[in-house]
Amino acid sequence: MTGTPKDRAELLQGTLDLLILGTLLAGPRHGHAIAAHIRRTSEELLQVETGSLYPALHRLEANGWVAASWQLSDKGKRARYYRLTPAGRKHLVGEQGRWESMSRAIQLILKAAGQQGV
Amino acid sequence: MPLWRRIGWLLERKQKVSDLEEELRFHLEEETDAQRDAGVTQAEARRAARLDLGNPVVIVDDTRAAWGWTVWEQFVQDVRYALRTMRRSPAFSALAIVSLALGIGANITLYSFTDAILVRELPVSDSRSLVRMTWHAPEQEVHGSSYHDSSYTDLAAGYTDGVFSYPAFRIFADTGVFSSVFAYQGTGPISVSIRDQAEPAVGEYVSAGYFSGLGMRPAAGRLLVDADDHVGAPPVAVVDFGLAESRFGGAGAAVGQRVLINRTPFTVVGVAPRGFFGTDPEVAPAVYVPLHANLVLDAENPYSPPLARYTDSSEFWLEVMARLAPGVSLAQAQAVLAPQFHQMNERLHAAGRWTQVPELVLVPGARGLDGLRRGYASPLLMLMGLAGLILLLACANIANLLLARASARTREIAVRLSLGAGRGRLVRQLITESLVLSVLGGALGVAIALRGQGAATSLLANGQSDFTLHAALNWRVVLFACGLSLVTGLAFGVAPALQSTRKDLRSRRAGSRRALVVAQIAVTLVFLVAAGLFARTIANLESIDVGFNRDRLLTVTLNARQAGLTNDAAIAFYRDLRTRFAALPGVTSVGLSDMAMIGDGRSMDMVVANGGEPKGSLIMNAGGGFFAAMQIPLVMGRAFDDRDDRPGAKPVAIVSQTFARANFGTANPLGQPLELHNPTPKVAGLTFEIVGVARDTRYASLSVVGTPLVYFPFSSAIWGNIGQMVYEIRTNADPAASAERAIRDIVHDANAGVPISRVATQATLIDQTIGQQMFLARLCAAFALLALTIAVIGLYGTVAYDVAQRTAEIGIRMALGAGRGRVLAMVIGDVLMLTALGLAMGIPAALAASTLATSFLFGLTSHDPVTLAAAVGGLVGAALAASYLPARAASRLNPTTALRHE
Repeated sequence: MTGTPKDRAELLQGTLDLLILGTLLAGPRHGHAIAAHIRRTSEELLQVETGSLYPALHRLEANGWVAASWQLSDKGKRARYYRLTPAGRKHLVGEQGRWESMSRAIQLILKAAGQQGV
Repeated sequence: MPLWRRIGWLLERKQKVSDLEEELRFHLEEETDAQRDAGVTQAEARRAARLDLGNPVVIVDDTRAAWGWTVWEQFVQDVRYALRTMRRSPAFSALAIVSLALGIGANITLYSFTDAILVRELPVSDSRSLVRMTWHAPEQEVHGSSYHDSSYTDLAAGYTDGVFSYPAFRIFADTGVFSSVFAYQGTGPISVSIRDQAEPAVGEYVSAGYFSGLGMRPAAGRLLVDADDHVGAPPVAVVDFGLAESRFGGAGAAVGQRVLINRTPFTVVGVAPRGFFGTDPEVAPAVYVPLHANLVLDAENPYSPPLARYTDSSEFWLEVMARLAPGVSLAQAQAVLAPQFHQMNERLHAAGRWTQVPELVLVPGARGLDGLRRGYASPLLMLMGLAGLILLLACANIANLLLARASARTREIAVRLSLGAGRGRLVRQLITESLVLSVLGGALGVAIALRGQGAATSLLANGQSDFTLHAALNWRVVLFACGLSLVTGLAFGVAPALQSTRKDLRSRRAGSRRALVVAQIAVTLVFLVAAGLFARTIANLESIDVGFNRDRLLTVTLNARQAGLTNDAAIAFYRDLRTRFAALPGVTSVGLSDMAMIGDGRSMDMVVANGGEPKGSLIMNAGGGFFAAMQIPLVMGRAFDDRDDRPGAKPVAIVSQTFARANFGTANPLGQPLELHNPTPKVAGLTFEIVGVARDTRYASLSVVGTPLVYFPFSSAIWGNIGQMVYEIRTNADPAASAERAIRDIVHDANAGVPISRVATQATLIDQTIGQQMFLARLCAAFALLALTIAVIGLYGTVAYDVAQRTAEIGIRMALGAGRGRVLAMVIGDVLMLTALGLAMGIPAALAASTLATSFLFGLTSHDPVTLAAAVGGLVGAALAASYLPARAASRLNPTTALRHE
């Protein structure tokens, strides 16, 4: 994530996979649409680098969590569409649980620290 | 990621890359559209989109990494690079590949023999459920004999034998632990006559369950069944697949044809499957006949009366194998059978037929009989060890050359390291280079092994025409070759790769290279000593005074009885044939005897001298002219002549000096009577008068001195009836190949039905008895030469490299006034020091290794000073020769040029 502007949140290691899989939960999308969706939905806080996006997509494909096929985009151009596989869905559920407990844990610690600091 | 997907992607990688490029192009266009929609100009939008995308080359690279075959791609790159590097230094590559190929080839050749002799199983179905019957007794006590090599004595287990009586075989067959039990025995030498053409062969008597027990299906016709194997059954035979092809023109054509076995007609009912050779890897029978056919084919054997073979439980003559019933283990079968066998022998013991009670031991039968394994296991393992050493030597050499080359590539490697190549990546690439070398060497090694197998087979056969063992390339051998190539590649590649990518490579490298050279010299010395010991053993064996003149003596072996001649007709035929041979041009004298003096199995019998205690002696039936042709001097009395072979002649005998000394001391043996201890009916009650004393000769074995030996006239046929005969033909010049043609014509003229089983010089027969030593000696000599070559190459490479490295130093020395002689002495002195270190390690190693070879040596101890001195001298000479060229080059350096060198 080099060169990420200061006003954007840094992506935590491993969270990009989670974001991509979460995005695909709504249905198949091509690479650009995935990046746009993440940016839009995070209210421009998260910016996915193209240089990270495509290696990540292909890694997910290699792991069998997403499948890809060539389809025509709404503008009538050939685009590579990614969709969630059942394995990917299962992986997402697991990762989501891990993420939630992790963020809860961090919040608890920060809250305790805040109280002590007061 | 599953491997298949990875490989699938690898195959369509061109497509994948262009797909990825299209995907990124699409992304760029989408982004441009998005920017334009945000309200900037087309050019501005394009610029922004490009900026957003970043460097597409990096993205493609990163994405390819996600596909999971970077390693493969890099491997292909490395291989290409390795091939380029090899082309740049062809001399080094050729040297490395050839020395590896020699090492790997030697190992594959030997492994293929080890595989054929020690590992390969019988080509039968479910060979694991086969068991073979043997019995143990504390001491050897012969109650029958086998044409298969199944009896032996070893220090731990005592005497082991594989022959059983027919009643014992029936008992085994009637227990429930086997699904089938079958018995067999070799026929010994027979004549097989097909379409009026007689040829010597061996056959096998087999019980009806033999083929079905082994799980064989016929290639044509049918195999033997119960109805074929009883008294009075029509004579039928199953023939070998190869025989059917060569003599009948195919398996199908053989069925229903007639063959004459020792003049008795048999009908071919079927053909054994292709590649089937019975149960003994040592012999491949040409024909298989039912057991009971021996009542016809072997009716006259005085020591095994036909009927007793099937009724007498002390008549041991059958080899027995069985197939375990499903769910029965070898140990369970053993537990059931052993008591029954014991009981049976207990009865024989009680009846005085046995002095001890043999015990049954079942052994796994998957690999058939083990005579060949026993005979060759230890020399083969020894040779495998030597071949392994050769390969080690070759590896050390290549590692050495690689280290030398690595310093030439210091710059290249330093540049690559400083450009950011990871050390691991570089090491991997250097190892790939080694593996490419070793795989090429391995491939060439397989080619060498294919030729080597032929050469080694003929070495091992040593002139025996009926040698059946053939090593072949099978999947195990190929696997061995592949594994060996990879292991050697790693063995010589890893250390140099690690060392040359280290930053501080210079200081330690020279040391390790010199250590390798020292080790090579040490190993080479071991080989030279081994080769020397075996060469001297051969020389000793060949210069033994055998007691007769072995030169220019041709032997011809044949058996007139196989042509259906009666005893008397055979005697007349043999006598007539001797006259015919004697008339050949260039022949000075002809003798005949029932055995070749050295080369045939010996016959042992008990002879009583003076009616006293029976004393063991070897015996030989010899005809008139024997002593003259063999040039065995008679120290007393007379030789046999034609009178002694006439019907009704007075029974006479000639004894050897040792026999005379042992039985009569200093008394005159002439005129003394001799009796046979256990005579056949024909000679029972006869007393033989000693008419001569012959000089001692070696008999049967080269190395046994002073054998008691009694000669009888050949027509007295101590064995009951006359059998095979060996003619000893003494010629003026060395027996030529043309002589064999003439001899075959003479025999054919005399009786076309008599097959000649062997024509060989006496010298060849002697060589065959020392075949194992000859084989070892030749192979060791070849290995020693190989080792020496490899070591000289290594030494030369090291010295040449050192001289190149020290060019400047030598230049300075010469500029300071060192003469050529000094420089020469300096370089050569260095080599001599390395050699001396190598010898210091090699001499104890050679002494230790030669102790292992003691049992193969003759006429010298394993610590033979002459051999050791010769090996050391040879090695020092070779080292000097290897260093001469580089040393001379160093001494001719022009100091000015040398100093400008750096």
